[in-house]
Amino acid sequence: MEEKRLTEKESLELITQMIHSSKQNMEVGNGNQFLYWGYCTAGLSIALFVLITLTHSFIWTWGWMFLFGVWPLIAYKKRQKPAAVVTYTDKVINQVWRVLGWMFAFTFITSGVIEILLYRQADFIIMLPLSLLYCGLGVSITGIIIQERWMIYSPIVAFVFCIYMLTMLIHDESVTLLWYLYFGLSFVIMMIIPGHILNHKAKQACSKN
Amino acid sequence: MFKELDPLLHSQLRLAVMSILLSVEEADFVYLKEKTEATAGNLSVQIDKLSEAGYIEVEKSFVGKKPRTTCRITPVGRQAFEDYVNALKGYIDM
Repeated sequence: MEEKRLTEKESLELITQMIHSSKQNMEVGNGNQFLYWGYCTAGLSIALFVLITLTHSFIWTWGWMFLFGVWPLIAYKKRQKPAAVVTYTDKVINQVWRVLGWMFAFTFITSGVIEILLYRQADFIIMLPLSLLYCGLGVSITGIIIQERWMIYSPIVAFVFCIYMLTMLIHDESVTLLWYLYFGLSFVIMMIIPGHILNHKAKQACSKN
Repeated sequence: MFKELDPLLHSQLRLAVMSILLSVEEADFVYLKEKTEATAGNLSVQIDKLSEAGYIEVEKSFVGKKPRTTCRITPVGRQAFEDYVNALKGYIDM
């Protein structure tokens, strides 16, 4: 593109063309974040289920703490390869997940403190249903923002498991190891599948361009 | 009486850069180069002009060992763009 003076009509055409062109790139790579979290969480759920079943040791429940290690890893990966363009949509989605991330951390600390004060031990079991709720909300809101139908509705599975777990806890029913598998399955449905769908659509959009 | 078109914006490459930056939060130099199909040297000069006028903010950083230039539109630039489009409308409706 040369630096030349334009007619008024050419100016308006150029503005329209550039705005349209920058909007075409909105979805590229969006699915990766979902895939990192989805695979890590689903993998960890299955690993912990297997380990506890085989060893009968509940020390493995602390394995959930590995998820706190995923957070800085993904942030580091993002810093290593920053996006060429950040749209307003990306900014809003990042803000939504930031709020949910803080909600997750706040719930973890608060539930731990309350359990230790009341029962002198913390098993953090409340984190399973609440994590499903927070992540489900995040995925659904993201789906609404980027107008991706599968993402809007796929967290319904997570919400059903969340309500089931909370109902069991309220009625003092015993927590079973199957909860770990329900948790993992929810992440497969609400994060891994939408992540692959997003990446597939992005690839298609790129090949068209 | 018609408003004079802002000479800083009434140029193909600078207008293209401003149009892109108006529709995104921020964009890096490589992205702008790809979208405008400009040469690196020319784009760099035009970005400097827009930056000197206060229309855009330019942030230089490093990703690993590679330098990275990120641009975003400023409120002054947004207002100038709006004025420019309004002036254009005046000419076209003539």
